[in-house]
Amino acid sequence: MANNGGILKFMAEYDRRWIYLLIFVVVVAPLLQPLGFPISVSPDTEVYHKILADVKPGDKVLFTLDTEFSGYMEIQSGIIASMRILLNRGAKICVAVGHPEATSIPQLVFDACSAELTAGGYQYGRDYVNLGYILPNESAVAALAEDFHSTVRQDAKGASIAGTFLDDVKDWSSWALIADFTTGLGTAYLRAHFALRGTPMTVNVIGVMSPTERPFYDSGIYKAILNSMRGGAELEYLIGHPGPGMTAMDAFTLGHYLLIGFIIIGNIGYFGYSRRQAKKT
Amino acid sequence: MVDIIEISIVAVGTFLAMAMFSTLYGKSNPLYSLAEESYLGFGTGLTIVINVLYIWKTGVVNIQAGDWILTFGLILGLMILLRMNKNYNWIARLGIAVVLGAQFALSFRTLIFTNFIQQISATIVPLFTGTGTELLYRWTITICVIVMLTFFLYTTELKGPLLWSSKLGEYLLYIAFGAIFAQTFMGRLGLFTGFMQNYTVPPWQTPYLLASMIIVLAIVIILDRTKTIDKWIPEE
Repeated sequence: MANNGGILKFMAEYDRRWIYLLIFVVVVAPLLQPLGFPISVSPDTEVYHKILADVKPGDKVLFTLDTEFSGYMEIQSGIIASMRILLNRGAKICVAVGHPEATSIPQLVFDACSAELTAGGYQYGRDYVNLGYILPNESAVAALAEDFHSTVRQDAKGASIAGTFLDDVKDWSSWALIADFTTGLGTAYLRAHFALRGTPMTVNVIGVMSPTERPFYDSGIYKAILNSMRGGAELEYLIGHPGPGMTAMDAFTLGHYLLIGFIIIGNIGYFGYSRRQAKKT
Repeated sequence: MVDIIEISIVAVGTFLAMAMFSTLYGKSNPLYSLAEESYLGFGTGLTIVINVLYIWKTGVVNIQAGDWILTFGLILGLMILLRMNKNYNWIARLGIAVVLGAQFALSFRTLIFTNFIQQISATIVPLFTGTGTELLYRWTITICVIVMLTFFLYTTELKGPLLWSSKLGEYLLYIAFGAIFAQTFMGRLGLFTGFMQNYTVPPWQTPYLLASMIIVLAIVIILDRTKTIDKWIPEE
């Protein structure tokens, strides 16, 4: 290709499989051998951290996982770091799930935060409960907001929730905070039936969703927003507990440099080759 | 000490994941088909099981607790299943009508606030009080909203200041699209990085990941070079 049309044509039309291959390399290599790029903390993450850090001991927090398992890979740093903050604050945590694939996530999160659970003396039922998959659609979320106990009577394992800290939960107003972690499934329902009524709500979104969720933060419906894996890494940095987010930031940074490089190369090739062809004709 | 079950999970997981990524090679291949069909099968099975449990937990259990009105919900749900019967599929329409009606009513009364009224009120901001940064943001929001809206005036001839405003709105939209593209790339890269990290931490998993990468790539290249890549793809 380069022989026929020169380097500019090659730059404009190279095989896209090279891009995929290089992305594989720049993502995997830093994960195997971290480079330690510095990270900065965005104002969004500072606000998010403050909202979670202001939770008082005994406050009831609805911790919702509206994510497929693939999405969990991206925002696990935010999920785990948020859980650590809430556990360290002594909050009472109710985990609810909005996608069948997410039903295995709560156990992963509790396993990752086992030190905080032990240090805080957390007991299942008295201090935290996993309700499992209870947020499949808008009707279910609306019913939970109106009358909690007539909608849910059992936890994820089928045990009765009577006698747990959830006895005090009546409706949307019983929650001190909703911490939602989402790939875009049930967030709109929580926003509409809880946040709009006045329950404070934070979201940790995957990067693709950020532009569509941002207006709800700017208009005050969300109290804070945490963006993608990058936000999770910043949160880990703020709480001084490095985790999956911070270790992935080298790969994340190099991936973006690679994209910028390809955009520059492609544009130089495209405009250079087009101009050369125009001159020839 | 890592047990054999954990090793098997990682080995099968990395192989199927790399087989899924083999679509990036640019040609359909049997490994991709294998991974795709496996995912669909497992995904559908999981969804059915979890949803049946959900119906039990929030439907049957609540009926047993005395909330008998939920019986109607179960009956309507069963009626929807009659869609699969040629003679009685009309009965399913009743259940679907109730679902759609309830969904519409629930959404309509809240969406109008979250997506419309709250968004408009968020753009009505004090333009002459606040710190320098706040004023900068507020003026930017106000000007951008007005300028971008003029781009969507289709029934008026655009000339003079309106034309300039429309042009500026168009370029602001391009900037917004650029930001959305960057954000989308960040999201996709985040998904990919998170996935890769899942198979590089803890480090004992890394050899399985690298081996899967090499094996899948080698198989796809060999199939392509020997022109047998289409032969092994199942027919739709």
